[in-house]
Parts: sequence; C-alpha cells; structure tokens
Amino acid sequence: MLICDEYITPSSLADAFAAMTRHRGRYRVVAGCTDTLPWAREGRAGDVEIPVLIDVSRIPELIARRVDDKRVRLGAATPVQRFLDVPELARALPAGPRCAVWFADDQIREQATVGGNIVNASPAADVTPCLIAHDAEVELARSENGAVARRRMSLTDFVQGPGRTALQEGELLTAIECDALPAYGGSFEKVGHRRSLVISVVCLAALVKLDAQGRRVEDARLSIAGIGPKPLRLSEVENFLRGAPLDTGRLEQAAEMPVALVASRTRQEYRRDVVRGFMLRGLVNAAKRAGADPAALSAELETAYA
Amino acid sequence: MPDIRIEATINGRKIARAAKPHQRLIDFLRDDLNLTGNKEGCGAGECGTCSVFVDGVLMKSCLMPVAKAHGATIDTVESLAKTGELSVLQQAFHKAGASQCGYCIPGMVMAATAALRANPFADREEIKERLGGNICRCTGYQKIIDAVELARDVQNGRLPAAALAEEEHAEGDFIGKNVRRIDAPSKVTGRLKYAGDMTMPGMLHVQVLRSPHPHARIVSIDTTAAEVMAGVEGVITAADVPGQDGFGVFVNDQPVMARGKVRYVGEAVAAVAAEDPLTAKRALAAIKVVYEPLPAVFDPFDAMRPGAPVLHDYAPDNITKHIPIRVGDVEKGFAESDLVVEENYSTQAIEHAYLEPEAGLAYVDPDGVVTIVSPSQNITHHRHMLARIIAKPISKVRFIMSPVGGGFGGKEDMIYQGMLALLAMKTQRPVRLVFTREESIASTAKRHPSRTTLRMGLMRDGRINALALKMICDGGAYGLSTEGVMRKAAILGAGPYAIPNVRVDTYGIYTNNTPSGAFRSFGALQTQFATESHLDICAERLGLDPFAIRRINALRDGGMTHTKQKLGKVSLARVLEAAEKASGWEAGAPNSRGGTRGDLDRVDTRPPVSLGARFAGEDKQEAAE
Ligand SMILES: Cc1cc2nc3c(=O)[nH]c(=O)nc-3n(C[C@H](O)[C@H](O)[C@H](O)COP(=O)(O)OP(=O)(O)OC[C@H]3O[C@@H](n4cnc5c(N)ncnc54)[C@H](O)[C@@H]3O)c2cc1C
Repeated sequence: MLICDEYITPSSLADAFAAMTRHRGRYRVVAGCTDTLPWAREGRAGDVEIPVLIDVSRIPELIARRVDDKRVRLGAATPVQRFLDVPELARALPAGPRCAVWFADDQIREQATVGGNIVNASPAADVTPCLIAHDAEVELARSENGAVARRRMSLTDFVQGPGRTALQEGELLTAIECDALPAYGGSFEKVGHRRSLVISVVCLAALVKLDAQGRRVEDARLSIAGIGPKPLRLSEVENFLRGAPLDTGRLEQAAEMPVALVASRTRQEYRRDVVRGFMLRGLVNAAKRAGADPAALSAELETAYA
Repeated sequence: MPDIRIEATINGRKIARAAKPHQRLIDFLRDDLNLTGNKEGCGAGECGTCSVFVDGVLMKSCLMPVAKAHGATIDTVESLAKTGELSVLQQAFHKAGASQCGYCIPGMVMAATAALRANPFADREEIKERLGGNICRCTGYQKIIDAVELARDVQNGRLPAAALAEEEHAEGDFIGKNVRRIDAPSKVTGRLKYAGDMTMPGMLHVQVLRSPHPHARIVSIDTTAAEVMAGVEGVITAADVPGQDGFGVFVNDQPVMARGKVRYVGEAVAAVAAEDPLTAKRALAAIKVVYEPLPAVFDPFDAMRPGAPVLHDYAPDNITKHIPIRVGDVEKGFAESDLVVEENYSTQAIEHAYLEPEAGLAYVDPDGVVTIVSPSQNITHHRHMLARIIAKPISKVRFIMSPVGGGFGGKEDMIYQGMLALLAMKTQRPVRLVFTREESIASTAKRHPSRTTLRMGLMRDGRINALALKMICDGGAYGLSTEGVMRKAAILGAGPYAIPNVRVDTYGIYTNNTPSGAFRSFGALQTQFATESHLDICAERLGLDPFAIRRINALRDGGMTHTKQKLGKVSLARVLEAAEKASGWEAGAPNSRGGTRGDLDRVDTRPPVSLGARFAGEDKQEAAE
C-alpha cells in the first residue's frame, strides 16, 4: 500500500519545482503510477510511506508533443497509447504502434507514460528500446536560482542499469527528442509468458530503410532489451547491414551477431534462441514494411518468420 | 493527513467530497460511494475487474490515485444499466452464458463496451486483443467473446434484437436446452454483492499478521502496543480461542492462528480489527513476535527421510496420508509382459487464482448467534468445526454462503472464518476481512505438486498386463484436503482401463511449504497425467496408435474398476471417438510421421496467439502494395 500525506498535482513546471524544493527529501515524483502503485505491495516494497507525491502528468510541457518529418519531441508524460492512436506519431515512429500493442493492455497504456517507462529503467522496458532505435535523447530539467536549467543526454547513456538512471535529485525528465523515420519499415518483437499484461522476456525494435528497388539496405536501426541489465543498441549489426543487399544469407548472419550479447541473470539459453529468431523476424517484417522486393528474400524465410 | 477535495461527475451526477490522499480511485468508488460493481481482483493492474471510464477512456481504477479523478467524468459499470434496462452487451452476456462466478464480469462488460466503441466492427481476434487486460478463470473466455460478437452484430443490425432473447423451450423442459442463467443480470450489472462488497453499520476492518518463517517456534507474542492504539478495537492470537482449536477437511491439524509454532510462510499469527484498514495495518506493525527458527523441510522426499524436521507431533514420519491399492499380482504381471516401461512424471503447485480474493464479514446477531458471511465452499462442515473451536452450541453458529467469485476447490478450507468469528465476539461489532491478492496466494491452498514413478507391463498386442504407480505429493504444512486428494488420485490413477494387476500408492507428505488442498479434479490430474503420458510412450514403443491402445484397454459396460466398482455404462468409447474426430487425428503411432503431421494448422484449428489484429487491414494493404 502506498501511503502519503499529500498528493500534489502541479499545473506548471514552475509549480512542480516549487513543490520539489518545498518538500526536498520527502517526495517522490509520479506520472501514470503504473509502476509505483504495484511496487508498493506485499512481496515487493510492501507498505511504503512517502510524505508527498508529486504528479507530473498534468504539466502542459510534459504532455506536449511536436512531430515533423525530421524530429519528434515527446513530453515525458505522454501516455504509451499515443504511439498507437496518433497517426502522425505512428508514421514518425514506425515500430511504435507495434511496441505499444504489446505493452500491458489498452487500459494501462492510457495511463503508463513514456517517461515513467524510461525512468523506471527496467531491463525489460518496452518503450526504451523502441526510442533508442531512433537515437533518442532525453531532456532533463532542474530549478537553479529560480530559473529552469536543462541538460540533454542520449537515452542509451541515461539508462544505466536495473532501476538506475542518470537522473539527479531535484531533476525531472521533461521530454524525449528523437529522429522521425517515416521512410523506414518498423517492427517490434516481444515474448513473455502470455499475450497481454506481460513483461518482456526479450523484446526487439527493428527499423529498416531500403533503396527504391527494395533490394538494398540503406539503413537499419536495432535495439534489444531483456537480455542484460539495460537495453542495448545493436550498432555493429547495423553497420554490417548498412549498404548491403537485402538477402537471406546476410540476414541470417546478422541474426547470429547479437546472440553472444545475452547476459541476463536467467534463462540464457532460451534467450539466445529467441534473439536469433527475433532478429530474423524483426528484420524480415521491417524490410517487408519498407517495401522489400518480394524476390529478395527466400520464401522459406518469409513463411518461417512472418 | 489532510483530506483532499474531489469534484467529479460520476455516473452522470456531480459529486464534491473529501478523500484521503492515499486512496486509489477504486477505494473511493467502493468505500465512499458504495459503487461495488467495481471489484478488486489484484490491486496491481493485472486483472481488469476494476475497469472504469475516465473521461470516456477505460482505465484500471486500482492503478489510479483518487487525486487523478479530480475534475474528471467517471462512468462505472453501474452507469450501463442505470434505469434497469440492460445494455445490448449486458443482454448478450446474459444470452451467451458468459457469466459464471461473475466476479470478472463487470470489468469484462466494461472492456467489451470500450472495445465496441473503439471499433464497432471488431472481429473476433481484435475483440480478444482489446479484452486482453481482463482475466477470467471460469469460462475459458469463449462465451465472453461469443457474447461480444453477438452484441456487435445486434448493434450493427446484422442480427435482429430478438437474437438476444432467450431461446424458446417448453415450460419445465431444460435438459439439452440453452437456458439463460437466472443470476446473470445481477452479475452483468455489478449489482451482486460478494462478501468484500458487503458492509454493516459500525463495521470494523480486519488485517492479519502472517509468519515470515517457514518453521519457527513462537517464543512470545506481545500485542500490548497494538491494543492501546486509537482506532484499534480488538487484537487476537491463538490464546483467544475458547474451545478446541483446529480445522481441516479430514484432520483438524490447523489452528485458527499459529499455536506454539508456525509451519509455513504466510500462516496467520495474529489479527487486528480496527476502524479502518490502515489503522489495522499499523497495529500489525506494533505487534512483537519473537520467533526461534526451526530447521525446515521443503521437499517431500526429504521430509520422508529419518531425522527430517517433524511438523506435527501426531505424524512423526510426516505422512499426512498414504492410500494403497492392490489388485492381482503385479510382479507376476510384469514378468509375463512382453514390454515393461518405467518413467517418472512430475506436476507443479498451481494457484487457483479465482478472481475474488477471500473475504468475509462476521457479526454476533442480537440472539448471540455468531454469524459468518463468506464464500465458503463447505459451510456445513465449517459450522460444525467453528462451533467446537469457539465452544458454542451449533445453534449459536451460523454460516451464510455469499456468492463465490470462483472457488475451484480453493475456498473449501476454513482459513480465515475462525479469526472473523473470534474478532466479532471480542469486539461485539461487525468485522470484515478482505484478502489482498498476495495474501490469497501466500496463505491458501495450492494444487498438490506431485512426483510419480509409473511402471507398466504390456503385451505385444497392446493389452496392459500390470501397472505399478507410486506418487509422492507435497501436502505442505497442513492437511486440508490432502487425504481426499490422495484417495481420489489412487482411485482414478490407473485410468479407465481394465488392468488385471494393479499396485497404486499415493502419499501426501507434510512439508513447510504452503499447504496443498482441493483443486478441480482433486488428485486425478496428477496420476492421470502420468498414466496418460505413459500410454502414449508405450504406444510408440509398440507401434500402436494412441487411440488404439486406449480402445484395446478401455473398460466396457459392466466392467469393474480396480477398486471393485461395477460400472453400468462406460462412455469412454464415445469420448475417444469424439476426440479423434474433433481433432482431425491422423492415425498412426506417435513416431510414424517424422517431422511433419497433417492434423495441425487445419482450417478449424485455433491459430497461435498473436497480437496486432488491429493492424490486420494495414498488413493486407501492405501485401497488396
Ligand atoms: C499490469 C502491468 C503491465 C505492464 N506491462 C508493461 C509492458 O508490457 N511493458 C513495459 O515496458 N512496462 C509495463 N508495465 C510497467 C509500467 O506500466 C511502465 O513502465 C510505465 O511506462 C511506467 O510509467 P508510469 O508513468 O505509469 O510510471 P510511474 O509509476 O508514475 O513512475 C515510474 C518511475 O518513473 C519516475 N518518473 C515518472 N515520470 C517522471 C518524470 N517525468 N521525471 C522524473 N521521474 C519520473 C517515477 O518517480 C517512478 O520512479 C506494466 C505495468 C503493469 C502494472
């Protein structure tokens, strides 16, 4: 049970920082609360008394978003469901809708925020790898001498390990900025114990851009989670695929490359099999959605990994 | 803790009320507004029994601090049939038989309402996907999804409204007819009150202190600090039991609260009744229990070894129950067989996970009758046991069975009703206890984990000549239903087959694990999992079709079971035939096909689970482009 004496819902960033200053050392930030409330239960943190909860989900800047053909800026408190139901966002983040549809369920996605997923820093977070594949940067803000001071860093550096981030005391995650990749085909592969309401055992975001004939890989973006302490960007595989012809042999070789990266605490052998399969399925699906020439990939590969 | 003010529109009415800052929306709706159609099944967003519309968007009210509801428009299941007229979806749930225990149903109706609002033409796969946040344990979901499809078609005019009406059948003619359940309207509207939904004036809230140790001697329990806390009305321990303590379905080996020692993690040690649950929780934290940890045993094989820690003085060998069955001469049968196969099988503990966590309300009525309202699956037996425990004549003990929000055997044990009775007697006020999901999982019965060694002797033509089965089950810390489970496991262990030589031994063993108890099929699952798996292996070794080997050995009309029960009619042949046909079975020994088989992926077989039904159109379009 989460017990608090005060629940504050600031309506501006300034109010939020004022509350954070006033209650320094006795508050906790929440957004959708979908990680925080289940955490404060028996078997996990148990009954937790936190004097003040500061809910950032109504701060206009944190729910604003800007999308054009080059860049996306998402307020940190954007609910995950927006990946599915805002067409311009779905276009700019081609793996986003597929990531969202595997995330919890329709109801929780309305509450769960992108920023919460990032700051919670679960090794199996779904949204984080999806954004890492877009070269995402986080924007962090703090109050300094009455003014708002901001800094930025790459999402890959921000998430440091299970439950650990570079967020400092007094800081808020305000926004995520990343590449818009409307010309890419996207896929998101996820496996857990059931279909809905399930934390990933492994998940993979794959983005592929092909040449006009759909035969050569112009660019590939890959990020994987669940196989180690934090989500990883698969840059080596991307380099291996970039500029190469789209063919079955090459994809099979690429699929082997991250298998050695599996460093999870449990079920390593299973995860290695999954990684190989997901790489193929992710790349095939993304390539197909990027307009692959149907002759480029063997029919066998397509049916096995469709 | 200062109150916060909540102004909102709830089911069309404006409200302005104070709330506690730590309340969740579900607490506010249920406790303050008495909108108990919103159930709490897990408190962690996993089950969907608490789904409500917030500004038109379906959300889980257990994951939402009440402060988030300020200024919002909230519609609960109670809003769907406000005037008494069921919505099309509710009527469809009624028609399709979609509600069984009913506990998940208000949430399901809400999720289905949201699904058809999002896409009035959603196909079956998309409906499944959109209902993915809601769990049901009774129906297997098929009828729920049938109901949503029916509602969709009526709403879209593809079916007439008459499709929602009950099928016609002659007065009093029910067998083989599709009859609507009379309790469905109360469930689809959320009107039905389960024990945790019930309140009484002056009611207190109960919380239970549970053991953190698997096995420990209780050196002392000091409740003084808890007892003097403001708002605490009663604290009880084993010392408060006036009569002969002990309950169980077969042996009364379990005290109402731990007496002298604890035997598993999660065992009740003390309980508190207070003005509100939070005060009761804080009182628990003030109870001081000194434990002296004892060596514990977690594996039934270890528990059977000499020198193992002993759980109960009456059973120095830790055997709760051994059921032996002997027919013919098994060793001779093996010697005469053409093929003898031996294998080991194991099954794991399983939680029933009924959507309704245990809950109960107790009071002493004006005539001094101690009354317990709870979803007990065994009220008559509970009444007898409780009378002995609280030292009252049976006429002064009353059990009322509240609607059972799923039981599956897991609500047969009198795990908490004793504490409720004692607290009602001690405080002379109504008291209510509602388990959390975690508490339910930690403290109540599981399906017996089992390990079975099975040896079977067969003739070349497939006839079974001898069967020896030995199953060791982890019964956990208390007996509960173990004896009966072992009995049924033994009785049904050799399957519906005519076998001349049979030796079956089933053992329920005490360990310091969570107690095992009744669970659908009551032991038959464990032994038959072994026997049926074994038959497939033997069929392969003999080059026989798995259906054929079963037919060869099937008991027939007038046959005799290995416990000497003479059977009138035996339906096995019909069952086999139906299963063979429905599965499109490809005949042959299990290993006759190699890597491929023709009876998978048929048009009428269910496709594997996938997500993204709502992208189906997009993908088709992609394929076309
Ligand atoms: C049933 C269920 C299913 C789930 N399924 C999935 C799933 O499929 N995939 C998945 O990845 N996750 C899943 N989750 C986890 C959770 O929903 C997500 O991690 C979600 O994105 C968290 O966001 P939130 O806003 O609800 O977090 P909150 O609980 O509000 O916050 C989480 C953490 O982030 C911090 N925080 C939030 N916003 C900010 C900010 N702007 N600045 C600084 N700190 C901040 C909080 O202090 C807290 O430490 C599931 C959860 C539940 C209950």
